Amino acid sequence: MTSLTQRFPAAPSLEVGALVDELRAAPPGGRLRVGDPRVVEFVTKFARKLLAPATARRFPELASLGFFLRKGEIAKALSTLDTSAGTLRFPRGLVFHVPPANVDTIFVYSWALSALAGNHNVVRVSSRSAGAAEAVLEALNAALSEVDPDTAAAITATQRMVTYDRSDEVSGALSLAADLRVIWGGDGSVAALRKYPLAPHARDLTFPDRSSFAVASVAGWQRASEAERRAAAEGFYNDSYWFDQAACSSPRAVFWVGDSAGARAAGQEFRTLLASVLAAKQHVTEPAMAVQKRVSAYGAAVDGLVKEIAFDGNGLATLELTDPAVLPREWLGAGTFANAQVSTLSDLVPIVLRKDQTVSQFGFTTEELTAFAHELAGRGVDRIVPFGSALTFSAVWDGYDLLAEFSRLVTVQA
Amino acid sequence: MSVFTRSQADRETLLLPELAALTAHHRANSAGYDRILSSLGIAPDATFGSIADLPWLPVRMFKTHDLKSVPDSEVFKTLTSSGTTGAGASRIYLDKEAAGAQTKQLGATLQEVLGGERLPMLMVDTIGIIKNRRSFSARGAGVLGMANFGRKHTYVLDEHDQPEVEAVKKFLAEYGGKPFLIFGFTFMVWLYLYEVARDNDLDLSNGILIHSGGWKKLIDRAVDNTEFRRRFKEDTGLTRIHNYYGMIEQIGTVFLEGPSGNSLYCPDFADVVIRNPETWEEQPVGEPGVIEVVSTLPRSYPGHVLLTEDLGVYNGIDDGDWPGKHFSVLGRLPKAEARGCSDTFSGAAA
Repeated sequence: MTSLTQRFPAAPSLEVGALVDELRAAPPGGRLRVGDPRVVEFVTKFARKLLAPATARRFPELASLGFFLRKGEIAKALSTLDTSAGTLRFPRGLVFHVPPANVDTIFVYSWALSALAGNHNVVRVSSRSAGAAEAVLEALNAALSEVDPDTAAAITATQRMVTYDRSDEVSGALSLAADLRVIWGGDGSVAALRKYPLAPHARDLTFPDRSSFAVASVAGWQRASEAERRAAAEGFYNDSYWFDQAACSSPRAVFWVGDSAGARAAGQEFRTLLASVLAAKQHVTEPAMAVQKRVSAYGAAVDGLVKEIAFDGNGLATLELTDPAVLPREWLGAGTFANAQVSTLSDLVPIVLRKDQTVSQFGFTTEELTAFAHELAGRGVDRIVPFGSALTFSAVWDGYDLLAEFSRLVTVQA
Repeated sequence: MSVFTRSQADRETLLLPELAALTAHHRANSAGYDRILSSLGIAPDATFGSIADLPWLPVRMFKTHDLKSVPDSEVFKTLTSSGTTGAGASRIYLDKEAAGAQTKQLGATLQEVLGGERLPMLMVDTIGIIKNRRSFSARGAGVLGMANFGRKHTYVLDEHDQPEVEAVKKFLAEYGGKPFLIFGFTFMVWLYLYEVARDNDLDLSNGILIHSGGWKKLIDRAVDNTEFRRRFKEDTGLTRIHNYYGMIEQIGTVFLEGPSGNSLYCPDFADVVIRNPETWEEQPVGEPGVIEVVSTLPRSYPGHVLLTEDLGVYNGIDDGDWPGKHFSVLGRLPKAEARGCSDTFSGAAA
């Protein structure tokens, strides 16, 4: 028998069978509803802890999370769940979350939205979790001791974050007990968890490997003021360097859209600005990472994908593609960007794959971007956002309206 | 014929044209190598002002790509090693000529400290390491490569990696009165030879020890090179100790520790460049950086100028036991790791 370590609420270890029994029971004070005030109270208390200056300074990504979970934001998100007469919305039931092991904080978004939808949740937190994830667990436990006792009792009965060593028994039992299983962490995690059967009525919500790229309008760049150009470089820096360019929404390639002379000039100016942002932020590239980037860049040259490699210091490597269609989707090292010119956004349509998640854009109009999305026709690309917003989590993610996914509809006709 | 004769100025004069010609040879015969240099904007007819100006490849390229300058039909031997970065195996292709050259030059390098004849040899390893000739570990390849330079081999460890004290005593009784050769990997030499010799009062004073492999496994025992040499000398009488630094990606080229210890020297057909990891410029003496190894031996694959993943420092130039640059290895670069959405990064071997 494998026992689970209970990280939140902090409690003695227990067996998986006991955990499932506890999570299935109705909580004191009655079952959770969609947008349950007890959950809202707890989540907003938790959010305030994340926004505390000491925490926010140490982990800027937790400040974003805290911002996302403020009372006003939550109310806005929950309002999207309003139903028309004769239709009622209810929680799905028990949700089993498997977040990525190399934690970024995405699992907290997943959990919080599911809890706000009124679900009972069990989240598997990696034993390798560190830093930001530890801070999250601390904040959760601290928030629990500060809310109304009735709220605390309901949260304790329904929300669990646990750590356990790889175990068929535990993963199998939690999968079978779940009404919805949420798998983050890429293709490998999805494949590993799919081995465990779900109950016949249950489903998976999967977040497989994704990749992202950026598009910049040459005409838009030429129209932009000096300040807008600098802001674009700063936004792009945040999008790319915050998670060493390894986040699924961070751009790996940049396409300049317009005439080739204009694209060359704009690209050159953009990279000069980006290099100055790196300098201003005192961005440090570890020697091993600098070597890794060269291995990737030279490898792409050997493979014939790249015709020109330029290094602006260790922080910024630009790989001029031989053909836009061969854009690299794998991680090449922090601050390594494939670069290419295309005449129109339409030229990118045949290149896009289902795997492509985020398109960060600069200098396009809503009409141009909407037309591009229509041309893609849903074959790929889940979100188009301005430079600087690539990493901003939203309740619609990877094409899913998460709150809708975390709830179910019941219709009533007299 | 010593291969430790060239001053740094002589190396620049004699090696640079040879290395530039090798660069052109590899460009002409390895399309992948040529594509790398072309994309870096290095013209096919580029000239290089100094050895440090030659373009380098990260050594890990040989783990991720097949790079060779000979047609498949002429590949005589393929060396593979997993190394320690866990990025799969390096694949090094040798034709007959390159295979011959590397053996010959390794011999010439070691002759400096072993003399001309093959000596009785104590192997600080188990014979099992070379039993399976089909799949060698890097350790097995090292043991086998070195075995050629000795005779009457005695293995210090039995098949369970336990020291065979009686076998060592017998070897010393028979050959210990004259120069004999000892070979092994640094941590094994310390664990299995030094401690056994000390505890059994063995006399190793006629030994010549050749060892390699780094100090990482000995850190928790607080043994560095100086301590290693001091204790061997005090407790076993062994004073002729030569560490060496080399890698399968530049097979046949070893940088050998000089007689007075604590510094590695370049054979005449090789050189070393310590680079600043920020600017990639050459570092002055005493400033640590990333080690680049340079050798004229790699002719069948473009491995003549390689950036390693080790840190090192010049101890001096033309002022040591032998002419040329001499340096120390300080350790490995820490691994490059990134956070992200996926648990594993395809293509990110680091």
